[in-house]
Amino acid sequence: MTDLNVSSEPVKYNPDFAKEIYALESGEHVKLCMQCGMCALSCATREEMDYSPRKLFLLMRVGKREEFFKANTMWMCSTCLMCKVRCPRGIPLADVMHDLKSHAIKLGYTERPQATFYQSFWQEILNKGRVFEGGLMARYYLKRGWSEMTKGLFEMRDLGMTMLKHNRMPLKSPKSIKGLKSMKQIIERAQAQMHREEGR
Amino acid sequence: MRYSFYPGCSMEGAAVPYLKSFEAVTKALGIGIEEIHDWNCCGATVASGVVGHYPAQVMTARNLALAEQKGLDIIVPCSSCYMNLAITNKKFIEDDHFQLMANEALGVAGLRYNGTLKVRQMIEWIINDIGLDRIKSMVKRPLTGLRVAGYVGCQTPRVFPWTFDDPEQPVFFDKIIEALGATPVKFPLKARCCGSSHSITKPEITIDAGYKLIKSALEDGGQLMVTPCPMCQLNLDAYQGMIKKGYQLDISIPVLFITQLMSIAFDLPPDTWALKYNIVSPFDTLSKYGIKP
Repeated sequence: MTDLNVSSEPVKYNPDFAKEIYALESGEHVKLCMQCGMCALSCATREEMDYSPRKLFLLMRVGKREEFFKANTMWMCSTCLMCKVRCPRGIPLADVMHDLKSHAIKLGYTERPQATFYQSFWQEILNKGRVFEGGLMARYYLKRGWSEMTKGLFEMRDLGMTMLKHNRMPLKSPKSIKGLKSMKQIIERAQAQMHREEGR
Repeated sequence: MRYSFYPGCSMEGAAVPYLKSFEAVTKALGIGIEEIHDWNCCGATVASGVVGHYPAQVMTARNLALAEQKGLDIIVPCSSCYMNLAITNKKFIEDDHFQLMANEALGVAGLRYNGTLKVRQMIEWIINDIGLDRIKSMVKRPLTGLRVAGYVGCQTPRVFPWTFDDPEQPVFFDKIIEALGATPVKFPLKARCCGSSHSITKPEITIDAGYKLIKSALEDGGQLMVTPCPMCQLNLDAYQGMIKKGYQLDISIPVLFITQLMSIAFDLPPDTWALKYNIVSPFDTLSKYGIKP
């Protein structure tokens, strides 16, 4: 018998979204995905992900843009590189996940704590040229807001005390590198070059 | 032997015991180590996720350009720093377009990198350049009978798979443990992820990963873990209290940097063991070998 619950209307794919992803730095490789699922099997944080990388690429192909960027998949990636090592099509998946993170930030999908952490880390680099863990934590919690800060500080109080006791958490920030200004100029130029290339 | 050395941000913070023991061990081996002058952050696994790979790699390349002025190959102990420096270096050597573009950007600060250096992962360098025989000859306090779980971590063997080790079941690291007189235990999860910076953003991930790792290390009678990675060490050492509480685990396992264990086995001055920084106390496990606080 015919299943009447299945619509006879054809599924409409939106190929434009896939093009947007293919245009990212490592995006070209995503075209090669054959949906084998090796990435899902290899991923250390698969259980935490809304969709495995394989499923995320499927979402991309059917053009589900909003669902794609709202997924936590890229933010759960811890860059352990197992997927990159194993992918039979040679897709540098961890690199793709990083492309997706920076693209998501650019598009304003920044509500996840991991996005805040990434942005705080980057600010910390631009601040002194090196990352001071204390400064990173301060930036992170200031951006997450008061309630998460108090919750975080409460949950982590024993950890923080132990680290202080063992001199593992210097409270004094190191000095900026001497070449901070030139490091920032280098980065700015590289970003400008990248935008120029993207515009082509 | 003389080399450039890239410590990375961790070694100035949470991984101070790594720096102290690394410097002592290289000095004892008679190796000249020169910290890259005015180095900047490598970007860790984060910068490319904010500004993209290219700007992050060019930022990393500033370090390569500074090091090239001395002409010495670069030793990198940290896993993430190694990943970024080594991948960027490879791009300079193999990709002419990248080199041209990146040098244009570096040129803004009067810098240039010609791709003449090698970026060496510390473990691979210890085995291939220093050699296990030399390590064995330095051992004054053999750690006979000590069962050690060698936690290589995820990035170190996987940046360039099969170039110096198996990306999933690496063996190089165990050879160093063996050279120190200790017994490397079977540790199937030796290259599994520790949860990385989820320790801040979603600690459950780090706690769960830590539990799996510790369980795997204990299964074959591991008494001590060693690692070459600052992130792995911190997550397993500092979060062990939370791991034990969360999973009702009643055994502790100290987690040392490999260079700390080397410093102990070489019988270098106790301050270079830098054990006061270890959160899980290693003294019960090591008292048999004359190691006291």
